[in-house]
Amino acid sequence: MATLTYYPGCSLKTSSKFYETSIKEVCSFYGIRLKELSDWSCCGASAAHTVDETLAHVLAARNIAMAEADGNHFFAPCSACYNRSKITNEKISKDKELREEINKLISPLQCLGTIEIKNIIEVFHDYVGIERIAREIQYDLSAIKVVPYYGCVLTRIPGVKTFDDVEDPVSMDTLLWAAGTKLVKWPFKMECCGAGKTLTNKDTTLRLSSKIMDMALTTGADMIVTSCPLCQMNLDLLPYLGKAEDNLPVLFLSEVFELALFGRLSGSGSHIIPVDGAVKKVKKK
Amino acid sequence: MDNLEFLHETEKVSGEKISTCYQCYKCTNGCPVAAEMDIVPHRIIRHIILGNKEKVLTSKSIWTCLQCITCSVRCPNDIDVARIFDALRKISVKEHCEADKDTWLFDSFFLDSVRKHGKLHELEAIMNYKLAKRDLFSDAKMGIGMFLKGRMGILPHNVKDRKQLREIFKKIVGERLGR
Repeated sequence: MATLTYYPGCSLKTSSKFYETSIKEVCSFYGIRLKELSDWSCCGASAAHTVDETLAHVLAARNIAMAEADGNHFFAPCSACYNRSKITNEKISKDKELREEINKLISPLQCLGTIEIKNIIEVFHDYVGIERIAREIQYDLSAIKVVPYYGCVLTRIPGVKTFDDVEDPVSMDTLLWAAGTKLVKWPFKMECCGAGKTLTNKDTTLRLSSKIMDMALTTGADMIVTSCPLCQMNLDLLPYLGKAEDNLPVLFLSEVFELALFGRLSGSGSHIIPVDGAVKKVKKK
Repeated sequence: MDNLEFLHETEKVSGEKISTCYQCYKCTNGCPVAAEMDIVPHRIIRHIILGNKEKVLTSKSIWTCLQCITCSVRCPNDIDVARIFDALRKISVKEHCEADKDTWLFDSFFLDSVRKHGKLHELEAIMNYKLAKRDLFSDAKMGIGMFLKGRMGILPHNVKDRKQLREIFKKIVGERLGR
């Protein structure tokens, strides 16, 4: 039984709480133990590096330092948490000057930048594997057409060797195929949803997220699948942002696994765009 | 090109070798918000090299940027363009000439909440932003919708050692976050 240090990040405790519930259920089925990092703090997300680079590293380093003491791999399901932690971990391990500066600030904690940071796609690949995923599915999802949506910051990490291609990633495609869904090819895997402009420049978010939704509809998909809480939220908020009609449900990757393993969604009530139509397509094997 | 001071400053703050740009336009071509910008990315880079400081720092573009990082991963000279935009934000705020205040304002409230609790209290950051903008109602429907779906927490989540975290914030940004 694998044990991972689980770093939920702020979103998974509030606006995307149902993502956490879903991850926990699926990981428990596969025998992955999630040990939540004790007294974790915010990674700084997009705000910290805009305002102050040092602050961004300090916020990420505090968590990494505490996780290093545990020695397990660090599981960050949120794309922003993953991205920020990965950058700081890498920089601190390579840049002695930065390491000393940051460690002085977070003392008595000490961050060495030695931890292995994993996103949810890597966790499913590395700790379960597509063979086992395909073998153990309990429900037939072959009637559900999905488009995999990776979003920006999961693979776009300048200066860091990324786990998948920055222009055309395929790791989530493979997982969705193994889970038994019908994969649809589409060109918007990596398009930006409008990111953190949801409040400060709503029109931009509406325009970009609508484009993604319309493309998904054009391909005939039944749902969009993502692993990023901000992408999920922006797309799911489309009815409130100004796109009242023609919206497909936006599921988290772990929710597709929930469908394949348990035939239902524990967080269906948290979705703004209704998921019932898609869930009805699940068949008993 | 008699004024290299601004180029050097931006290179220092961003940590990027901006002068290696040869104007291939890849950053602009991949940018999802280029159409909304007053000066498109490759031109911003050129203006930095030419020392047109005011033009760059008062441009709206540096705030239109979404930090989607497409430009950075496509640059043939490995210039992290998004990081340069990030640096320009910092410089323009320092020089009090930012063309758009909303992004910085929201990010400051975001970090203020993290300073207080150690974790982001979404509702608090959003309400503070809305109060500062004197615009409480434009997104009320969206907020209530999220609340009804269980996606908006009322109470903050706090880390145990909040004092230590506040000390760290103070050492790095001083009292600046308070605006």
